[in-house]
Amino acid sequence: MATPILVVDDSGMSRKLVIKSLPVNWDVEIHQACNGQEALALYREGKAHIIFLDLTMPIMDGFEVLEAIKREGLNAFVIVISADVQPKAQERVKELGAIAFLKKPIKAEEVLHVLKEHGLL
Amino acid sequence: MNDLSPASTSLLDFLIDRINIGIFAVNRNMECTLWNCFMESHSGVAAASVLGKNLFQCFDELPHNILYHKINSVFILKNFAFTSWEQRPYLFKFRHHRPVTGPVEHMYQDCTFIPLKDEAGEVQQVCVTLVDVTDTAVYQKMMKEAMASLAEASNRDGLTGIYNRRFIEEILNKECQRVQRYGGTLSLAFIDLDHFKKINDTHGHLAGDNVLRASSTLLSESLRQSDFLGRYGGEEFVAILPATHIEGAHILAERLCRHMAGITVQYNDIDIPVTASIGIAEWQPTMVRYENLIKAADHALYQAKAEGRNCVRRGT
Amino acid sequence: MTMNNANLSIEQIDALQEIVNIAMGQAGDSLARVLDSFVRLSVPRIRLINAPQISQYIAEIVGDAEQITAMRQSFYNNFCGEALTLFSSEGCRDLAPLMGYQQPLDAETEKELLFDISNILVGACLNGIAEQLGADLNFSAPSIMAANVASSQLFSPDTLPWAYALQVEVNFSLEDHKFKSHLIIMLAEDAIIALGDSLNSFIEAI
Repeated sequence: MATPILVVDDSGMSRKLVIKSLPVNWDVEIHQACNGQEALALYREGKAHIIFLDLTMPIMDGFEVLEAIKREGLNAFVIVISADVQPKAQERVKELGAIAFLKKPIKAEEVLHVLKEHGLL
Repeated sequence: MNDLSPASTSLLDFLIDRINIGIFAVNRNMECTLWNCFMESHSGVAAASVLGKNLFQCFDELPHNILYHKINSVFILKNFAFTSWEQRPYLFKFRHHRPVTGPVEHMYQDCTFIPLKDEAGEVQQVCVTLVDVTDTAVYQKMMKEAMASLAEASNRDGLTGIYNRRFIEEILNKECQRVQRYGGTLSLAFIDLDHFKKINDTHGHLAGDNVLRASSTLLSESLRQSDFLGRYGGEEFVAILPATHIEGAHILAERLCRHMAGITVQYNDIDIPVTASIGIAEWQPTMVRYENLIKAADHALYQAKAEGRNCVRRGT
Repeated sequence: MTMNNANLSIEQIDALQEIVNIAMGQAGDSLARVLDSFVRLSVPRIRLINAPQISQYIAEIVGDAEQITAMRQSFYNNFCGEALTLFSSEGCRDLAPLMGYQQPLDAETEKELLFDISNILVGACLNGIAEQLGADLNFSAPSIMAANVASSQLFSPDTLPWAYALQVEVNFSLEDHKFKSHLIIMLAEDAIIALGDSLNSFIEAI
């Protein structure tokens, strides 16, 4: 069965770049959200086994999404993809349960490395 | 700028060397890798004796911490950095080109720190350009002085040289706000020359002007260092008396009144007698605005006029 | 908003938004390292503005700050424009303890610090943008535009040599501090066209 993955970013171009960086021939079902609220709704519908999450977004930002997911039992692998590269931001998302922090602009080999590292491929 | 022919490369070298701007570069060890003719002639140190050497060891007059920090920030942040003469007149103690007319001791300098990146995008050297801005600095200084004297002149009354109405109100406003916020006392005196219109009508306006000038001189001599005197209009003067309660203001005003009555102003061999009426008032927190203090003193002045002139009355 | 010549398409704006997003992340990181504090980043706002309404836009950006200090810096080469960094005067008083000074800063030291901060933000953000677009920018020295003025006094719309401009706005604030700064990158008509061309090449390369 295809793995449901969720790409969350307010920028359409950025989502496109994330999707382009995913391994080819990876059997996934891709969902997209452009803010935290939409992302949480999809997560609750079970459409997010793996989440690629941006941090700076309107309405509800990435930190808030992580907090909510953590509160609700953390039933997803969250990979944060962010332009905010401050070490403290990285620390914070790890504390909130993200499995990895990737810097924008995203690179395909880094995505591959993280997925392999966590046995998601 | 890419793919330069040998001829244009030598032209570039020539330009860098002879341009009327200081250009030098350092690597990560702060060793000089470039030192142009401008730097040579102003520092008196030849390129041959600085190239490959640590910049700070060659020049101990350099503000080590600041300059080191600036250059280092360019290496770390890969970003331009700047120093401006307005914050830091100079980095190098260079003489300027105005040994005769220059009112300053050293060359004023604006410096730009430019990252020089290698192919991998890493900053390997920092290039510094140093521009002589002594002329700009001198002009700006002159302009500032001119502006200050203009500002001073615009606060003065043309005839008497004491503060004009606009400025004295500005001071009063500040003083009122100060006592309102921090407490303390403040009084105000309105001083009006008696029968001034008659002086003008009898002896002419030039005589009147003389009386105004003599009165303002006498008043400012009779006031204390911390008081402010201004011409409020026509023959009306105002004195701001900081840190003075109404009793003190009354004593002072009586003295002003006596002094005024004690003089005569000479004009074309005629002695013109002068007296003044004075209204005083003390700041009350309930007044809130400075205009209300003016109103109180003005009202007291009106009373002094009504009760025979050449006297002092208090307002509330 | 309808504009005649120089306008950006939705796709171009989306691309620029993401490019700025990445660049401001780098700028925030630089600032965080200098101030040793966590920097909160806003979502960058990109819009075309009319010259007559400039003061209104500035007031919107600085919010309820009564007085602001503004630095400006020019950049040029592939595209040229000016970057403004606005600081609320109230927030600046927070700068002394933040930088490890025991006493309140004298005016010159405060100015020098603001120069440094605005140079870091402008340099990091614009270099970040230029790098992604394959451009290379030069910078002139920052200068002070106004110190402690009301936001409405920053520009006099009648004297602006452009009718409309592209405004890219990024806000940086610090956790547990009042210090706040707003970075505004402004490109006038001609530069918008040059930027649009760069964006097209960028989009095509994706």
